[in-house]
Amino acid sequence: MPEHIDTQLKKGVLTLCVLTLLNRRDGYAYDIAADLSKAIGMGEGTIYPLMRRMQTDGLVETYLVESAAGPSRKYYRLTAAGRRALEAQTAEWRTFADAVEAVLAEPAAATAETKGELTQ
Amino acid sequence: MTRAEFISRLKRGLVGLSAPAADEIVQDYEAHFDAGAADGRSEAEVAEALGDPDRLARELRAEAGARAWNQQPGASSAAGAIFAIIGLGAIDILILLPIVLPVFGSLIAVLVSGIGVFLAGGFTLVAGPFLDFPGGPATALLAGVGIMGLGVFMTALCAVFVKWLIDATVWYARLHYRVLKPALDQGRI
Repeated sequence: MPEHIDTQLKKGVLTLCVLTLLNRRDGYAYDIAADLSKAIGMGEGTIYPLMRRMQTDGLVETYLVESAAGPSRKYYRLTAAGRRALEAQTAEWRTFADAVEAVLAEPAAATAETKGELTQ
Repeated sequence: MTRAEFISRLKRGLVGLSAPAADEIVQDYEAHFDAGAADGRSEAEVAEALGDPDRLARELRAEAGARAWNQQPGASSAAGAIFAIIGLGAIDILILLPIVLPVFGSLIAVLVSGIGVFLAGGFTLVAGPFLDFPGGPATALLAGVGIMGLGVFMTALCAVFVKWLIDATVWYARLHYRVLKPALDQGRI
């Protein structure tokens, strides 16, 4: 089920993506949703449950900014815990991506050899 | 779907949350529609990109339940979190029941025996000195206090384990948020 793998993968990196975007600059949910929707095909509505969850976990906090047109907007920024989470998750992702890359790049012969060693 | 339709379905799905909590969520989505309109997108476009309001409401309610439990662990917030999570459909109750029932059964057994041991300790403490307790009245007093302590310990252990169990349930449910499903369903990858 390729779609299933796709969903699981994206779900795993969604928090990391939001942390990264917010580390660059504070943002409001519409912008984050639009960016991620374009980049990884996330349903825009899902940003709100996610932001709420990150807020519950103390990774982000909100503040209101007066807007020229209409009501004031709710902006999100990283907390200290959020920045620590970003560092940890980035490192984790790099390690994981490298490991997957190494597996994919391994020549077929080498794989067979390793298998032989294992079974002996 | 129009903006009004999306919002009303969302509101219907949020029934059960406190009014301020539901209002805050609805305002988030209203603001999203405003920003979308400012961006030159139609109501129908924004609603489609947002995804299924019923599903979103279930996730938001589960998240609110988890948050209440985190902030104030207690019987009512635990029940709230569990019910919201069941509403999410994240836990297939039929599959989990055979695992969950024995665990809860054992917990209740330990709890009840903890209370029983506590009472037995109390009895030994009060009645021991007057009955013919082996080792004399002083031993009876000490044994009574010791047994009551054991009862308290068993009950406390139970409470710690229940808290851990609910934390684990919340964690498990969060793994199962189908956050990206709406986008994938609509083939907007």
